[in-house]
Amino acid sequence: MEKRSSQLKLSLKIFFSNPTAVIGLIIFLAYVIDAIIVEVSPGLLGIQNPNQLQMNFINPVPQPPSPHHPLGTTYPGIDLLKGILAAIRIDLYYSVVIVIGGAIIGSVIGIIAGYRGGIIDDILMRITDIFFAIPYLVLALAIGFVLGRTTESMSIALIIVWWPLYARYARAQTLSIKRMPFIDAAKVSNVGSLKIMFKHVLPNVLPPIFVQISLDLGSIMVIFSVLSFIGLITNPNLPELGYLTSLGLQYIQTAPWTVIFPGLAITIFALAVNLMGDGLRDLLDPRRRSSI
Amino acid sequence: MKLWLFIAKRIVFAFIAIIGLTFIVFILLHTAGNNLLLSEYINPRLTGPAREQVIHELTLKFHLNDPIYVQYFYWLVAIFSGDLGYTNTPIYSGPVSGAIALFLPNTILLTIIASILIWIIGVPIGVRSAVKRDSAFDQSVRVVSFALYSMPIYLVAFLLILVFGVYLKILPFAFSLSPTLASNLSWYVNGVSYPTHIVIIDALIHGNLTAFANAILHAILPALTLALSTIAGIMRILRASMLEVLDQDYVRLARAKGVPEKVVINLHARRNALIPVLTLYGYTVASLLGGAVVIEDIFSYPGMGYWTTQALLNNDVGGIMASTLIFGIVFVIASLLLDIIYALIDPRIRY
Repeated sequence: MEKRSSQLKLSLKIFFSNPTAVIGLIIFLAYVIDAIIVEVSPGLLGIQNPNQLQMNFINPVPQPPSPHHPLGTTYPGIDLLKGILAAIRIDLYYSVVIVIGGAIIGSVIGIIAGYRGGIIDDILMRITDIFFAIPYLVLALAIGFVLGRTTESMSIALIIVWWPLYARYARAQTLSIKRMPFIDAAKVSNVGSLKIMFKHVLPNVLPPIFVQISLDLGSIMVIFSVLSFIGLITNPNLPELGYLTSLGLQYIQTAPWTVIFPGLAITIFALAVNLMGDGLRDLLDPRRRSSI
Repeated sequence: MKLWLFIAKRIVFAFIAIIGLTFIVFILLHTAGNNLLLSEYINPRLTGPAREQVIHELTLKFHLNDPIYVQYFYWLVAIFSGDLGYTNTPIYSGPVSGAIALFLPNTILLTIIASILIWIIGVPIGVRSAVKRDSAFDQSVRVVSFALYSMPIYLVAFLLILVFGVYLKILPFAFSLSPTLASNLSWYVNGVSYPTHIVIIDALIHGNLTAFANAILHAILPALTLALSTIAGIMRILRASMLEVLDQDYVRLARAKGVPEKVVINLHARRNALIPVLTLYGYTVASLLGGAVVIEDIFSYPGMGYWTTQALLNNDVGGIMASTLIFGIVFVIASLLLDIIYALIDPRIRY
């Protein structure tokens, strides 16, 4: 137990010795806190309905940033600051759902393929290859057509294209863990293979998967917003960053802030989780560990 | 494992992947229901018994009452014999194969220009970044590529439009040819040029140098957006692999022998550092085709992507199915070719 807490201390020390990783973590937490506030008490941020953008048809043309609208407004009369603060909740929610969904499916398949080996491994990995070969936009188009262009169907599409990545990671990780003595020990003491997979292999596969999750959160939010931007999510008034960006399309020449600010909100998040993920990856790197 | 065996195995896998892809597309479309599948074939003005009759005939023709695997078989046969059905969008109505012939060339052109840009921008910067490790140049390259890496592709497009199109006013950012110029051309109709459908080449064929120059200007921003959206990844990998190579014994030996630094970097190091970049590059080119969907939409550039979004917004079964298949197949074939090239270059990879 003592060893574990000193390990944790060391990990924290390594993470916090990396200033960019800490900045990434702070920004990530800011987004999470914003999402929680909008969920629990949107009034605090002046948002009336967190599931709908507040339109103002009296003054629909985008207004430049001013004390009243710190980030300006976009068509039709939507305050961009409030819109972005509300949208972060939705984008963050779906990014987390998609990444976690993909990670769970992928890890299970990867662990089974890696641990069982042989023909099961071959079949599972060929299936993985097929899904790996499908470009996300293509699948999103097809699923959007069949299931309707909704946030849910887009999440399903992205989970379907995202799990193969995790399956490959989990399989590679499982292959190296499989050869470790404690697995042999478990086998000798007659532990069932299902139990070995999920009680002994899984906990060791999780740390790198966790790093990958934090790195992927940003990419997924970017892709989710792209899908929404090109019209694969048709829910008018939904506070979503890609949709919010597309509202300013006609005004890009006269009111560039309408596309730049919502776009930046995504970019900053993606940057932050990438920095944070890089910091987390260092924690798993034994070379880094010994240098501190 | 012998090389030919490796290649044979990869070809089989690619074939399985393509079959799997068609299966997924088929199942998806099948769940959409017969009425949607048939909608492209039925004259919307038909009503009553006449309509029932047409539906009945089509159901027989496409074996829609047979078990699903029989339907899948007939569908596959049709696909592989080039019959992809019909498409009906505001920019094109007719057989899907016709639409592909019209729109795919422009997308391929954009992809080619973008991949050349990636090569001539990404490689020198990545190499220099590694050689001048931790210098101000290296640091700023890393910051910029990190930012690019995190940006949605449409934001990259807008920033380029704002800088080059709106403020500097030096590059056009809509269509493949300026509308005023196009209105006088007999070979340019509704955004599509004839006979090759690649505006730049058609302008040359018709000997119209003004249109040629104009078409090139129109291709720059979409191609640059495509390139920038993937260049960051290339530069990152190249820098890392260059740093690793520069640390190798043979580079040290070359330096100790007194080989000029320029030769060490360009001949000894860069060549070897490019191997991992090559794989990424191939996947990049394949994904450029997918990225083209968003970019062609923003720039109203008449390619596969533009047509795909039109198909999507109009619930056009034929169009969506065809682009799903084509983008997927291109991706599979590109990764197959890459694996083979990679195995030829780096003998360690064969297992």
